[in-house]
Amino acid sequence: MAALQGIWSGTISFSLVAIPVRLVPAIQPGRVTFHLLHAKDNSRLSRRLSCPAEDALIPPDEIVRGYEIFPDKYITMTDEELESLSPERSRTIEIVEFIDIREVDPVYFDHPYYLVPSKGGGKAYQLLVEIMRRTNKAGLARFVLAEREHLVAVTSRSGALALTTLHYPADLLPGEVTSQTRGAPEENEDVNMRNTIVRMTADFDPGKYSDDRRNKLRELLIKKTKEHAVVEAPAPSEEAGPPDLVAALEESMRTMKERS
Amino acid sequence: MTRATIWKGYIRFGDTSVAIKLHSAVREERVQFHLLHRRDLMRLRQLMVCAHENLAVPAEEQVKGFEVEEGKYLLVTPEELEQTLPEADRSIEVREFVRSDRIDPLFIDRAYSLEPDMTAMQGKGYDALVRAMTEMGLTGICTWTMRKRPYFGTLQARGNALRLSTLRYADEVVPAASLGLQAAALSEKELAIGSELIEKLTAAFEPGKFENEHELKLRELIEKKARGEKIAVLEPRRLQPTAPDDLLQVLEESLKKAA
Repeated sequence: MAALQGIWSGTISFSLVAIPVRLVPAIQPGRVTFHLLHAKDNSRLSRRLSCPAEDALIPPDEIVRGYEIFPDKYITMTDEELESLSPERSRTIEIVEFIDIREVDPVYFDHPYYLVPSKGGGKAYQLLVEIMRRTNKAGLARFVLAEREHLVAVTSRSGALALTTLHYPADLLPGEVTSQTRGAPEENEDVNMRNTIVRMTADFDPGKYSDDRRNKLRELLIKKTKEHAVVEAPAPSEEAGPPDLVAALEESMRTMKERS
Repeated sequence: MTRATIWKGYIRFGDTSVAIKLHSAVREERVQFHLLHRRDLMRLRQLMVCAHENLAVPAEEQVKGFEVEEGKYLLVTPEELEQTLPEADRSIEVREFVRSDRIDPLFIDRAYSLEPDMTAMQGKGYDALVRAMTEMGLTGICTWTMRKRPYFGTLQARGNALRLSTLRYADEVVPAASLGLQAAALSEKELAIGSELIEKLTAAFEPGKFENEHELKLRELIEKKARGEKIAVLEPRRLQPTAPDDLLQVLEESLKKAA
């Protein structure tokens, strides 16, 4: 596996201890990805932004972010203004308390990452991994990633620190079911159900399941390779610019600029 | 409160069949920005541009290709892609049951709440399944097809309701062993004080204490700018990392502070 790229760097702290860390993804999507090509010449298509008023492609330095306050009326916002909203949280994951992770309803779990120690942080990092493992506790913190503040749980996992973003309670929709008169099963049906459940009990082994659609896509691609269906794209135009402007911009909207 | 039903179907295993309706369990509403042209503040439109001709290409001239090596593609047609889609189906097939505390949280993806579908079989079996899974401490592992995609996930009882969560496939979860972490020499004293510190800082999980302050501040910032007020730009705070040789002393000071 290629070295994991850091998506954020900063410090994780608990009480007076501060550990320099990088955040890396814990999920690598296994999707089979396709690119859009021009049917005429099999050349790769890239996303560009165009101004409807000038009917022209716009270079990155002329692009600004805006919040629509009324229809077609925008308030613009710079990276610096956004970053200064929570200056204490954009570079620090401060563990404010420790909790028992078993108390957290899994509905709160959003996206998982790992933290890896930066230079000089190895010892304190391993200490936090080991004391959370011994006490079976998770750290609760808030920090700002990609211009959004997240409530996060930091856990000890196989010698590493995992960080999972949590949903805020305000974002959870009520899941309780209103008690209506529901058809009750016959008593022996209930017993049958429980017996079936007992018979079907096994260990959690997610490796047994694979994405059937992904498998089918792979088969399709192997079949087409054997049929020598490969086409070649011509050389890109010299004025074409960066490979995918919109993807790069979206990335920059997500990633805070490293400022020294 | 009425919620939009995303999907309707049946939970099935053995002789059991429970009719359900599926709803989102989470809804995030955040401030959204658009990309504008700095000069005229016009909202920008996205175009697909051919890298060879440097011209915008309309949708009907776009095809999908899988890159086998740089600049070489296998073209796939919409018909070929259609054939890889699973057949539409209305069942959530429970394949097995596992102990609820054995589910690895890293695998959990998106959650949905399940409501009994009273129009089919009067919601029969729903309550019995909730009670059975709760009392047995078990979670169902199931597979189903929804919106033309195959899913794999957990079926859990929470309170008086059933919940479905999609799971990530095992080959998508990065193993901690691949991070290449180095072991560190830690003294028993450092570990003992550290553990004591954690116990002192432990509280019950009460997520209601935490509000998304950043989002509130962002809305205030937008209002300030709308009124034409000047915005002060602040530098992010960076903490000085604890030096490895100071770790024991810092832990002792932390413990004193927590006491």
